[in-house]
Amino acid sequence: MNNESVIKSRFEENGKVFETGAPVTGAVSIENAVAVGFGDGSIRFFWPDNDPLEVRAHSGAILSIASSNDGVITGGQDGRFLKISTNAEVEEIYNFGTRWVDNVAAYESMVLCSSGKNVYIWSDENDKPKILEHQSTIGGIAIDQNGRRIAVSCYGGVTLWRLEKNKWKSSKFAWKGSHGKVGFSPDGKYLVTTMQENELHAWRIRDKASFAMSGYPSKVKSFTWAGDNPYLVTAGAKEAICWPFDGKEGPKGRKPLCIASGGQQNATFVESLPGEKAVFAGFRNGMVLLSELSEHPNDVLIQNPTGSEVSNISISPDRSHILVGDSKGQILWSPLWEQ
Amino acid sequence: MENSSSQVPVTVLTGFLGAGKTTLLNRILTEQHGRRYAVIVNEFGEQGIDNDLVVDADEEVFEMNNGCICCTVRGDLIRILGGLMKRADQLDAIIVETTGLADPAPVAQTFFVDQDVADRTKLDAIVTVADAVHLSSQLGEHHEAEEQIAFADVVLLNKIDLVDQSQITGVKDRIRKINPYTKIIETNRCAAPLDEVLGLNAFSLDRVLEVEPDFLDSDHDHEHDDDVTSVSFVSDTPLDLEKFEKWFGNLLQTHGQNILRSKGILDFKNEKDRYVFQGVHMLMDASPMGPWPEKSIRNSRVVFIGRKLETMNLKEGFESCKSD
Repeated sequence: MNNESVIKSRFEENGKVFETGAPVTGAVSIENAVAVGFGDGSIRFFWPDNDPLEVRAHSGAILSIASSNDGVITGGQDGRFLKISTNAEVEEIYNFGTRWVDNVAAYESMVLCSSGKNVYIWSDENDKPKILEHQSTIGGIAIDQNGRRIAVSCYGGVTLWRLEKNKWKSSKFAWKGSHGKVGFSPDGKYLVTTMQENELHAWRIRDKASFAMSGYPSKVKSFTWAGDNPYLVTAGAKEAICWPFDGKEGPKGRKPLCIASGGQQNATFVESLPGEKAVFAGFRNGMVLLSELSEHPNDVLIQNPTGSEVSNISISPDRSHILVGDSKGQILWSPLWEQ
Repeated sequence: MENSSSQVPVTVLTGFLGAGKTTLLNRILTEQHGRRYAVIVNEFGEQGIDNDLVVDADEEVFEMNNGCICCTVRGDLIRILGGLMKRADQLDAIIVETTGLADPAPVAQTFFVDQDVADRTKLDAIVTVADAVHLSSQLGEHHEAEEQIAFADVVLLNKIDLVDQSQITGVKDRIRKINPYTKIIETNRCAAPLDEVLGLNAFSLDRVLEVEPDFLDSDHDHEHDDDVTSVSFVSDTPLDLEKFEKWFGNLLQTHGQNILRSKGILDFKNEKDRYVFQGVHMLMDASPMGPWPEKSIRNSRVVFIGRKLETMNLKEGFESCKSD
């Protein structure tokens, strides 16, 4: 790439770039920091006012990261499920040996992870995990806004677990195929999964009515929710594809909004800007754009192409900073607003 | 964006239980000093693998929703290969050990179907370890044994110290009848030169051009309808591109389930380039591979390995593609 001809964005001018050498595998907000998980098993905390803090946590890549009451929880290829505080204390919650810990999630003091076909739940009361079994290896887990329901995706659909009288009861949302990430809509009415095929699937939980969102040129690796409607914002195409989830039928039979159209390559990561009708889209060549949720959006360049796929975009909890991470380990940490 | 040098080679080890897969695996891991391997094993596998990066996998085979019934892939491989590509340390190679009764097709198809897998890794070769004592009876009893031979780029015919020369000849004939393309290496305790097992690039289209199969008479008898056999055809008359595409597309649609592997080098009328293809069931990789070398014979050669090949009118179909 000919860097001399590239005009730096305001974010690249004002921000700091870190070359960590390890792929960024995930990131999450915790207290006033953004915690980033890496392919070498380390975690780094980025603060608006301090230098980043590195914690050596796992051996092998971190596969999943989430924030809990008192630290981030991580699952790794070393089979360990860890909790790491913002002052670098590492606590092992469980060790699965040679089995990877693929997914983690938390709600207040409840922490859970998946390894193979099982979900393991630790709540306040006891130290022994509650185990929820599934028919195949788990692709993704999600907890709803109240901590009462857990969605688990695997081959053949989603199992929705509900906590009723201290027991987890399951109901099945079936759709043929291999399901990856899973999420609840912000109002808790829909379930969404990414699929092995180049599409997403969604169910209205009330009546299990389901529909596919397809037409993507590549696998959908990332989705998020944005705006008041809300829109389901998705990667996988040359633009950020935003499906309207308002009304009774959601996006059924409606066209999505296509925004952030300046990228030459497929989007690999999307993130919303909290409180605004705006979306960040990161692309396979490392470019990142900020775009408005509208029919005729204006795009703002956040990061020029780096040559490596954008694997995470996170906003600091106080909305002051943006973090962009890529698959080669470059981090851009930049103030979000003009100073 | 990716080029072949950034793709990590993946070697698939198949073979029945007790044939010597773990022996071969440990030889690779101990003799290739300074190289970094990830080994993907199944939970029923033999113990005692001497490597610091061993990943447990369930052999999860699932169908793709692409309307193609034989298009099965290994879901766990997609997940694990994706996970390994997130590591900071560079791997020199990945070895996948399958269970004794595994069908290699879903493993091979995973590399055709999943874009992320295809971008970051490449299927180097399928290596089948066969027990010289027991292979003949296993071939009669288990479909999987035939499939493992049919898909093999290399067969290590192991434990030859336990059989006499006539038995070796017999079992080799049996292997060649199923798969004329495979390279057979006779071994004891899997003591094959490792450069004949690793780094073969057997699934690249270039490689189709380099390996000449032992062409056999295709009209041989066989004992059961379900036997895996192979047939090959040669045409000195250039083929018609349109006719070939129509015939071949239709053939894979209708009989893809019974065609395990297909390969060919094609000479089309009015085309200066050689066309090369290779397929696994209904999935196919094809491309022009540059002009014909000056001194080479310009003709079209195709090979099919599969079941019930005699029901597909392959000879007539191929003949009908000749240009007028």
